[in-house]
Amino acid sequence: MIPATARRVPEHTPRQVNEQIRRRTEANVLRFSQDPAGLDHRLRELDKEWDIERTLQTNFASIVLLGIGLGTTIHRRWLALPAVAAGFMVQHALQGWCPPMPVFRRFGFRTAAEIAHERQALKALRGDLRGVPGDVRRESQSSGEQAVKR
Amino acid sequence: MIAATADRVERNTAAHIARKINRQTEQSLARHSSAGREAIDRRLFELDEEWDVERLIETEAPVMTLIGLALGASVSRKWLGLSVFAASMLLLHNVQGWYPLLPVLRRLGVRTQGEIAAERYALKILRGDFKTTGEHDSNGSAAFASANPHGA
Repeated sequence: MIPATARRVPEHTPRQVNEQIRRRTEANVLRFSQDPAGLDHRLRELDKEWDIERTLQTNFASIVLLGIGLGTTIHRRWLALPAVAAGFMVQHALQGWCPPMPVFRRFGFRTAAEIAHERQALKALRGDLRGVPGDVRRESQSSGEQAVKR
Repeated sequence: MIAATADRVERNTAAHIARKINRQTEQSLARHSSAGREAIDRRLFELDEEWDVERLIETEAPVMTLIGLALGASVSRKWLGLSVFAASMLLLHNVQGWYPLLPVLRRLGVRTQGEIAAERYALKILRGDFKTTGEHDSNGSAAFASANPHGA
């Protein structure tokens, strides 16, 4: 009943939002089909891009600090805010959904796997896979090691 | 100042532990690539399931927060300090990368999405998913389709 780490966010994102993100990712790759200028720069940008987990964690931690700040200065009732946020954060970790998740997805925040998808497609376009044989039956350990370094 | 998402955990992992994790990935690759296509398919499925560092932190941090809030409301306000600590450490993790549990998780061999993706793409390359992408390939659509993490 616990969904896969790599799929739990797309599974809980509205289909049209997933599709929008997929189309944008594809367009980012197609941009470099003919002209590789700027491709290296784009790969560095991808390393810096905030994925959905990093965004949700930061959002959660900020709500907790805010709620405890208000709870200790204004009224104890404010402590319910971090309690609810913590409940939803656990739900997100286990199940893949929490209230702010669809909002951030609409803003275009991608999963690490979606970012890796663009990165790997760009690397293939750049020619990083040149000389890597693709036939499983002929593979030896050394080419596996070669592949992981790409 | 703000660490890059892709390698912020790796940068905060002791070198010998990072090497050990990479070695385990290479051994897994060697094992699955020599066992044929079905073994690779199965392994790719496992990689999707694998709990990464972020998912474990996302489970642990709110549990600590809740414990601090419960004790803070019932026993002593001082326990709220536990929740404040948990949230502050999570902020630190997201800005800079380090986290108090990170050395433990990494010693246990828990990987990042980046490390899991490295194994996934090595397997996909070995399986021949990227056959169409040769020298100076200008076929963006083919590259995009080949790189699909859940594609066959």
